[in-house]
Amino acid sequence: MEATQAPAAGSPTLLLEQVVKTYVMGDTEVRALRGVSLTIGRNEYVAIMGPSGSGKSTLMNMIGCLDTPTSGSYLLEGLPVGKMSDDELADIRNRKIGFVFQTFNLLPRADVLHNVELPLVYAGEPRASRRKRALEAIERVGLADRAHHKPNELSGGQRQRVAIARALVGNPSIILADEPTGNLDSRTGEEIMRMFDELYSSGQTIILVTHEDDIAAHARRTVRLRDGLIESDVTNGARRRPAAAATAPGP
Amino acid sequence: MKLGLDIAESARISLSALMANKGRGALTALGIIIGIVAVITTMTAANGLANNFKETFSVIGADVVYVSRMPWIIRGPDEFARFNRRPQIELDDGERLAQALRGRAVVNPYVGTRELVRYGSKTLDAMQITGTTDKMVVMSGTLPETGRFLMPFDLQYRRAVAVIGWEIKERLFENRDPIGEKIRVGNRDFRVVGVMAKEGQGVFGGTSTDVEVYIPVTTFAKIFGGRQRGFDVDLAIKGMSPDTLADLEYEVIGEFRKIRSLRPGEDDNFSINKLDTLVTAYNNIMGVVVGVGLMVTGIALFVGGVGVMNIMFVSVTERTREIGIRKAIGARRRSVLMQFMFEAGVICLFGGLVGIVVAWLAGIAPAWKGARQDPIEALRYE
Ligand SMILES: Nc1ncnc2c1ncn2[C@@H]1O[C@H](COP(=O)(O)OP(=O)(O)OP(=O)(O)O)[C@@H](O)[C@H]1O
Ligand SMILES: [Mg+2]
Repeated sequence: MEATQAPAAGSPTLLLEQVVKTYVMGDTEVRALRGVSLTIGRNEYVAIMGPSGSGKSTLMNMIGCLDTPTSGSYLLEGLPVGKMSDDELADIRNRKIGFVFQTFNLLPRADVLHNVELPLVYAGEPRASRRKRALEAIERVGLADRAHHKPNELSGGQRQRVAIARALVGNPSIILADEPTGNLDSRTGEEIMRMFDELYSSGQTIILVTHEDDIAAHARRTVRLRDGLIESDVTNGARRRPAAAATAPGP
Repeated sequence: MKLGLDIAESARISLSALMANKGRGALTALGIIIGIVAVITTMTAANGLANNFKETFSVIGADVVYVSRMPWIIRGPDEFARFNRRPQIELDDGERLAQALRGRAVVNPYVGTRELVRYGSKTLDAMQITGTTDKMVVMSGTLPETGRFLMPFDLQYRRAVAVIGWEIKERLFENRDPIGEKIRVGNRDFRVVGVMAKEGQGVFGGTSTDVEVYIPVTTFAKIFGGRQRGFDVDLAIKGMSPDTLADLEYEVIGEFRKIRSLRPGEDDNFSINKLDTLVTAYNNIMGVVVGVGLMVTGIALFVGGVGVMNIMFVSVTERTREIGIRKAIGARRRSVLMQFMFEAGVICLFGGLVGIVVAWLAGIAPAWKGARQDPIEALRYE
């Protein structure tokens, strides 16, 4: 998987140009994205913010290859995602993307180990190395002693850590997290964010959606959406923990 | 290359899904079990009937043509009335046919009735008494175990001799030697000259030589001929050259029409019978019976299948989220499909296997009963 970490020097990890996503419902059209252009490089840490319904999740789904643009182009490590078949997209998701969801989305009947090794199962990895890598990932999120527990035997924070382990086990190009702390109390949320910070320090590219400035402040760059368009795109600089939420302009 | 892993994962997840819903899976499998049991039982019974039919009528002989007054299969009372007006087939007719076919075929006239058979204080009710000739040995190839069969001079002099079946010997004589003993058939004494070899438990008594008494057909005519209105014989004809049965049949018809002095254009006033006629009739009846049976049981199996389909719909619906998760982390369509096919497969396979075992156990009784069904009874229902 090292190869995926080394795209042609200088080429961005992802490149969106004038991406439009229109949902057709009956005879009304919902324009969730109305022309988003965005470039994100390797080992960036980006927070996407914006009011409800502004298209954050839609954008994340697009980046995560769960959905394809209605128009515009999207290159993921130079690959044109828009033209791919269902199965090709599945492979891309499997090898290049790690998802962390607000609602954890673990398989309820599978234990932690099985949940974490699942991406490797679909990647066709042999059993022994699959197990080894899954256990390493579980170790990394500090759940080594919980490997054989079922999700319903874990706390919310632990479940989200399992989800993070599952996201990073395949050594993906990007980790996408849609409101990863949305279902957690602030203290547990902080724990989870420290985990993302760590992944970032070790070279991961991370994109996360959040409503909270505290959470966004962990990232190095903040992209704000409004009504399907990018409203602002700022680098957070070196500020690490500014409780100063004053930068958020009220509507 | 991923196929093996796909299968392993599919097996793992569908088994855990089934374990989580044991009751549901079991009920679904029950539908399949019932369907499979029904189908297998029907097939087994049909098969048993067919086998038993073959066994029973092997005595008739596939290479033998019969001339009788009546056809073996009669469709309705009108036909019966019409055939019943035909002239009887006399022993003389048989002799003339034998003359006409001399060198080409053997003709054996035979006739049967039921009579009380007695030896000392032991009596056997309504035994099959067959008047026949020495030619019967040629027809069926069966020989007495002890003693001898009927001989030409028995026929010629209308001797009161009898060859008895193995079971009759057992029941009348037990361990004594019956040869030379006198038995009473009806109200005449017969001397036992031979005992037929044991044929084994025939599927039904009527055609087993074990429970028959053979006497010369001429003697039969003398004793029973007078008081039996419909006394006529059947003629069994077996070709001597390896001609086809059709050729033999053709020849027999021609010769017998001559004997009957029928003019061209006149209908035959006798019937040609052969095993084939019975087989065809039997197959027609059984075809319908088995067809209806299979249709009904097929519906049962289909309903079982619909049950599986229903459960799979439920299973897919309630796992929409799971499917979403799997696809998000890289499951291809094939993988998801395989997972559910595996689940359905396990239910069906389980249901099928249990069904086979249940059918095997429960099917023994009805199949056995079916195998004992008297084909003659079945044929009467045409
Ligand atoms: N599958 C869909 N079909 C139709 N419309 C959709 C679909 N998904 C999203 N939308 C619409 O697209 C717009 C953007 O939705 P999106 O989920 O991206 O918002 P969001 O920014 O993630 O909001 P939130 O902060 O509430 O999660 C909304 O108006 C939503 O109703
Ligand atoms: Mg959203």
